Amino acid sequence: MKALPQNSLPVLLTPTRPALEPLPAFTTFVQSRALAIILVGGFILSCGISAALSAGATQPRPSILDVLLKWAPLIGGGFLFNIAVSIASMAIGTLSGVLLGLGQISPSRSIAKISWFLTQFFRNSPWLVLLFFVMFLLPFELKLGSLTLPLPAWFKAIIGLALPVMANVAEIVRGGIKSIPFSQWESAESLAFSRRQILWQIILPQAFKRMIPPWMNLYAILTMATTLISVVGIQDSMTLTKAALVAEGRLDLYLPFYTMLLLMFFAYCYPIARLTQSLERRVAVKF
Amino acid sequence: MCFAQSHIQPVDVSFKQKQVASGKIAAWIALIIELVSEGDQAMTLSIKTLIRSACALAAATVWGTSMAQAQDTLAQVKQKGTLTVGIKNDYKPWGFLDPSGKIVGLEIDLANSIAQKIGVSKVELVPVTAANRMEFLNQGRIDLVIATMGDTEARRKVVGMVEPNYYAGATNILSPKSANLKNWSDLKGRKVCAVQGAYYNRRVTEMYSPELVVYPAVPDALNALQGGNCIAFLFDDTLIVSTLSGGDPKWANYEMPLNSEDPQLWAIGVRLADLNGPFGQLVKDMSVDWHKSGYLLELEKKWGIKQSPYLIETNKKLKGN
Amino acid sequence: MMEPIARWFKWLSSTHGLNYSVFFDNYDQTLFLKGLQTTIFLSLACIFLSIMVGLIGAWLQGSRLRAARIGTAMFVQFFRNTPPLVQLAFFYYAVSSLLPTLTDQFGAQAPIINNLGWAIISFSLFAGAFNIEIFRSGIEAVPTAMTEAAESLSYTRFQIYRIVVVPIAFRICLPSLGNNLVNLVKTTTLAYAIGVPELLYASAQIWSEAMNVREMMVLLLITYVALVAVLVGLMQRWERSLRIPGYIA
Repeated sequence: MKALPQNSLPVLLTPTRPALEPLPAFTTFVQSRALAIILVGGFILSCGISAALSAGATQPRPSILDVLLKWAPLIGGGFLFNIAVSIASMAIGTLSGVLLGLGQISPSRSIAKISWFLTQFFRNSPWLVLLFFVMFLLPFELKLGSLTLPLPAWFKAIIGLALPVMANVAEIVRGGIKSIPFSQWESAESLAFSRRQILWQIILPQAFKRMIPPWMNLYAILTMATTLISVVGIQDSMTLTKAALVAEGRLDLYLPFYTMLLLMFFAYCYPIARLTQSLERRVAVKF
Repeated sequence: MCFAQSHIQPVDVSFKQKQVASGKIAAWIALIIELVSEGDQAMTLSIKTLIRSACALAAATVWGTSMAQAQDTLAQVKQKGTLTVGIKNDYKPWGFLDPSGKIVGLEIDLANSIAQKIGVSKVELVPVTAANRMEFLNQGRIDLVIATMGDTEARRKVVGMVEPNYYAGATNILSPKSANLKNWSDLKGRKVCAVQGAYYNRRVTEMYSPELVVYPAVPDALNALQGGNCIAFLFDDTLIVSTLSGGDPKWANYEMPLNSEDPQLWAIGVRLADLNGPFGQLVKDMSVDWHKSGYLLELEKKWGIKQSPYLIETNKKLKGN
Repeated sequence: MMEPIARWFKWLSSTHGLNYSVFFDNYDQTLFLKGLQTTIFLSLACIFLSIMVGLIGAWLQGSRLRAARIGTAMFVQFFRNTPPLVQLAFFYYAVSSLLPTLTDQFGAQAPIINNLGWAIISFSLFAGAFNIEIFRSGIEAVPTAMTEAAESLSYTRFQIYRIVVVPIAFRICLPSLGNNLVNLVKTTTLAYAIGVPELLYASAQIWSEAMNVREMMVLLLITYVALVAVLVGLMQRWERSLRIPGYIA
């Protein structure tokens, strides 16, 4: 919120909005007080709440912290699998999305229409439904002439997640290119640049910087969406958490385990979000 | 190359302008065309585009369906050197994970015995669920399904069921003792957890009208049961019996109160094309053999499964021949 | 009207094997339509509640109390940076098991909020956090000159908010809000994981009985695209009807 300027008018007119100091600037992971408060506080709070509410157990059981530590490596491994899936999906989605985005602004009407249709279709479908779609419809192996490529479940999941990413990247690319003022195109044309030269040498280098914050935002969304692969039956941190809870069977473990999972994702996505924010400020439009 | 009509020119013509300039109908057409070609984060799908999408996807469906297998499975398996079998990995003691992470169980033993008969040394075990085992089989991902699959009329249209069946299970519920459920009719209107793809879900709903809440997987349903989100868990009685008899303290306050209903034969599944072919015939012969020699009864004893009356009967019948 | 359609799909199923049982089988049709109804209800409830959460949060973020501002910021950061599926499971499994239970009509202990309720709460908070950001940026984008002019005319703070800020801010943030609501409708499919009988759940039940996975997937995708198209169409019309001629935000 911007601070209201102090006025020199008589006391009748008082500033109605207080000047708000911004939250502490996020420079390094360690220095972020907000992050530390949320992580530590939330964890202690959840363990405390569940322990207090389920006090009075019939027989001595291992403490909540012990059980958490026992299962943490396995669930942490599942979380790393989630991250790996997100990176692979993002890579495939970005590459295909850039092509689709460039197709959308193509002078050839048919390519532009097809690209637009694909983009809108995959953007407006729920991610979970697309994931089911790909898991069921892709064959279990691909026959290319004499070569057979096996397609394991996690690979199909990566493709399934890459489809909406592709559509969103196409939109980001198209939006980035559109945000470059038309005068750039006109002046380049008057200097006898070909269309391809204009795109690759003039427009895209300028647009690239502006595409990065929404692209990073999309990556954060994708990382959070990788938990969807647990619904289609692939072993990830979410299925492992559920399996651990069934194996232990104690009601007072539900809150700590799910909080631990939430905080794992938070610890990964929050720094990305802050980084995106600071990048956004730096690449703000200056014309 | 003239850029005058290039697509990258930002279009920002207001509706009112168009209307004044060219008359009402033309304005509407112009607006639709503008919106369809502008397509920012707003997607206006005209009916035409919806039909187009339907046609495109119908074409994709037809293409997908035509990717069928056409080669003999027995020859394929021998050539591959591996028998790929779909099994359960969360259903003790038919197919489950032992502490080292290996999949073991009665059905795995059956799979190994079939592989031995064919003469291949490797058995690839693919964990499946009720919701995807038939899909996997028909897609060709697995050659054989031995995954606690109930043999029903509807399923026989999709998958080839090998007779004689290797087990008969029944439906029952797992519920806390405090719930005090005595008859199936007590379930009317109550919240009951179930798992996606089970053959008895529809039957139980139609006969006893519980409020069935269907979850994607067994751990989801068990978590919900433990959290008190439903009063009972509807599943095969074999799993419930083995869960309760495991001696696990967390199930101490649970019971299987009702009479097992709807005895359902379980079958090994092969593709419809294979049912009368060499592969299907081999599995059928082995099935008869297991019953005759009492191998199935032995396995039941080994894995601690209550001796099914169906098996004892079939064993006597076939021995007598 | 439905008769010729049903007959055509029956013909399609028997001759070409494309089994769109939803059109001619009564049981499947009822399931599918009930699922559609639940999805629409879930979407509308979540849209309404998330806008409420957004408005309240945006108001709190401008308050004089430092605690309110920091609390809102923490709420927003938490819900924006954690997966909605894990949030849903957190509410349904973990929080629900710790809340007191009440006696239902059968004399047993039942949780206060059922799975549909928790889905609504979870998705409303999730989308509400995004809405807080959207409304806040909309409010910030209102030119200071406007608020200063209103102040110099001795409007109270609430009057400025109601008469000057909110109308302009609303028009500015309507595109982003529309985008967020579209995402909310897409997110309602996650309720499948906790057994809410919405469209994806109904389709899964149908395809596990009728073995027509591919056809149901196609139908499901088209239905969701149509639902989203309806929502986007409504938002666009609303946007256009609110447009102030000559005002450039």
